[in-house]
Amino acid sequence: MRSLLHRMNPSVKFVLITVCMFTMAFFFDPVTPLLFWAGVLLMQILFSQTDWKKWLFFMIPFFIMAFGYFWTTLVFAKETVGPIIWSIRSVHVTELQLHHALSLSFRVLAFSSLSLLFALTTNPVTFILSLMQQLKLSPKIAYGILVGFQFLPVIKDEFIQIQQAQRLRGIVQKKNTLQRLLDTRLVLIPLLAGAVRKAERSAFAMEARGFTGERRGGFFHEILVDKVDAFLGVLFLFVLVLSCTNSFWLG
Amino acid sequence: MLKSWKLKEIVLMSLLAVVFGIVYLLFLHVGNIWAGFIGPIAYEWIFGIWFIVSIISMYIIRKPGAAVISETIAAAIEVLLGNAVGPRLILSGVIQGLGAEAVFAATRYKRFDIWILILAGVGSSVFSFAYGYLLGGFTVFSTGYVALMLGIRILSGALLAGVGGKAVADGLLATGSLRGYAISRPKKGDARA
Repeated sequence: MRSLLHRMNPSVKFVLITVCMFTMAFFFDPVTPLLFWAGVLLMQILFSQTDWKKWLFFMIPFFIMAFGYFWTTLVFAKETVGPIIWSIRSVHVTELQLHHALSLSFRVLAFSSLSLLFALTTNPVTFILSLMQQLKLSPKIAYGILVGFQFLPVIKDEFIQIQQAQRLRGIVQKKNTLQRLLDTRLVLIPLLAGAVRKAERSAFAMEARGFTGERRGGFFHEILVDKVDAFLGVLFLFVLVLSCTNSFWLG
Repeated sequence: MLKSWKLKEIVLMSLLAVVFGIVYLLFLHVGNIWAGFIGPIAYEWIFGIWFIVSIISMYIIRKPGAAVISETIAAAIEVLLGNAVGPRLILSGVIQGLGAEAVFAATRYKRFDIWILILAGVGSSVFSFAYGYLLGGFTVFSTGYVALMLGIRILSGALLAGVGGKAVADGLLATGSLRGYAISRPKKGDARA
């Protein structure tokens, strides 16, 4: 049970999450996104082996962001008519405004939670392979992305090397933190020049080994859609419908 | 559409996306923290940085689709890097790319001077704003505030993506590593060497 979300087909998960987000965009009451957020969390608790410490760490910026949305909506709201429930200096908050503010904040939290559910239960390589096999992404692009992804550690090393070389030659001085942050822009061009060369070399190597980029019938790593996807798909839509229709059954 | 694309051009876009994927993530964290204090308008100042890959790629490769494909790849790579914003980034990548692509398509992929690059940055700004308007629920904000957000985003797109993108690509051209891409092809009227 605890591994269901990890075993789910990444493309199916991706499509479901997109559908959920676009549906949520049409609701401006606080209860719908709150219920949806609760549903997403419940699913993640039941069907995934999430490292919750990591989850909390990733969520912190979104809590801050939700707070930003909250007070901005209160101060810069469009509709300012209706009964005022509280006032702070010249800012008068109406009930509708408070509803909108809470709604947007909960929406931020629901969206981030949904995104984290995806990020923490999906293997990146499987995701790209699945996009190619289920959603018909061109193999040229799919393998292109994977090549770039594999180069990530190399580029990280190169970044440090270039920085050290520049410091050695006295191009950049270790002054203060701000100066050092600004000096990182000098690393960008050499780093990109190296990246361009790597791109050419690996593309050549791929073609030399017979990669044509044409679509094919079979794959070495086959990513399947099975019963787990049907079950979780229904569950996702159930949570979505349940939270969107809350006004009917909550009264 | 992909038939005329060389593999090395696609891998180039992917590697550009990796380098800028890291830059994007950095800006996202700065934006997130800032947004807690000054609200969603915090992102508007730095929004242009997210369009830079589409402009650099189009400026270098000069083929139909370069803007939208590169921005989509960049978004996908960002998701692979373990971005907490997650899969919806891919969609915003497509939309931002389409904004820039529309401008280049309007010139029939013939002009790549600074003004067109700036316009492409503006195009991305407008497209991404429309998308953000829907998903971010900006309808609840007052019109003046929304107009201010849009204005800052357009400015950011024009400067960071348009001017900044050209500066980066020109710097890269000067290193000589872009030989073999459309940007290095002699223009009409150039002396043939």
